Amino acid sequence: MDYEAQLKLQAHLDGELPEDEAREVTNWLARDREAVALYGELRNTRQALVGHEVGVSLPESREFFWSKIEREIRLLEPPETSVRPAPLLSAWRRWLVPAGAVAAVASALLVGVFGETRIATVETAVDDPAAFTYHDYSSRTTLVWFSYPADEDPVDRTPGTVE
Amino acid sequence: MADKDYSSTDDPTLVRKAQRGNMAAFEELVARHRDKIYARALSMMRNEEEATDLSQEAWVKGWQRLKQFQGEASFGTWMTRIVINLCLDQLRKQKRQRAESIEEIDEESGGVERQMPVVTVNPTAGLERLELRQRIDQALNQLSYEHRTVLVLHQFEEMEYKQIAKTMGCSIGTVMSRLFYARRKLAALLADLKKRDEG
Repeated sequence: MDYEAQLKLQAHLDGELPEDEAREVTNWLARDREAVALYGELRNTRQALVGHEVGVSLPESREFFWSKIEREIRLLEPPETSVRPAPLLSAWRRWLVPAGAVAAVASALLVGVFGETRIATVETAVDDPAAFTYHDYSSRTTLVWFSYPADEDPVDRTPGTVE
Repeated sequence: MADKDYSSTDDPTLVRKAQRGNMAAFEELVARHRDKIYARALSMMRNEEEATDLSQEAWVKGWQRLKQFQGEASFGTWMTRIVINLCLDQLRKQKRQRAESIEEIDEESGGVERQMPVVTVNPTAGLERLELRQRIDQALNQLSYEHRTVLVLHQFEEMEYKQIAKTMGCSIGTVMSRLFYARRKLAALLADLKKRDEG
């Protein structure tokens, strides 16, 4: 019996042959004792392995095994980066105070218009948007408006800083 | 507050809860399927410590990939595929690290199984379950990892030839040859063990 024929017997046992080839092998088994013997051996081996894994138990307790898995999962998970939302008062202050400064400058502008005062410049420091500088050259007045308390470090109010 | 008891919750519900981050639900899934996953790893690795470590790794990977599980197969089947792939990676790494024995080279070059005499008497007939398992374990230990893996994937994982070929990265012809060799070798080894016990 050649090797290809032996492999065909195995494929027939495993249900891997198309219908017409399976029929051929069935007819062959009906007349060839050597083929029947080999087929029998393959079938016995396959049968011996059925249920081989049934009853195999992991040799660690449920709790211990789980504790290892849980620890590894927690180690691999990225740490939570929580950004606490700014308190409401702080959020209002950030918006309201610069708005108030703008309103103050606008009022000064209006006074200047109606009081016939020429306004030279209104500046805001790029690095500190909460500070306004107002120059009035005619009256030689400079007004600098800080929208945060004097004892607070302006660096702390950089947008995006976690408080 | 005591943990909720999920022992009577079905697998699909547990999976959904675990996918939403419920670790207690995942722990129940681990408890239910851990023996099956371990048994599959043990069949492939033939070493209890390695099988335990790879099972643990499979469960961690299962947690990480849980959102990808869509229910196309059962959860148990999905997990066994994870552990099988981990075992295959480990076996390939081990093979690269060690020299092949002469027997393994003979196995791979093929031909030996074509000359083996046919075992006509069933070598496992009359054996108690435990004794049969011990003999099969002894015989499986003597196969190379390629031959044992094909046997495990076909016999225990119930994969078709085509699926095994894809999993192992080889041709269907190679799968058939390795499976044939593994079965014939197993039959011969079991027959030898039987003779030794009777003699």
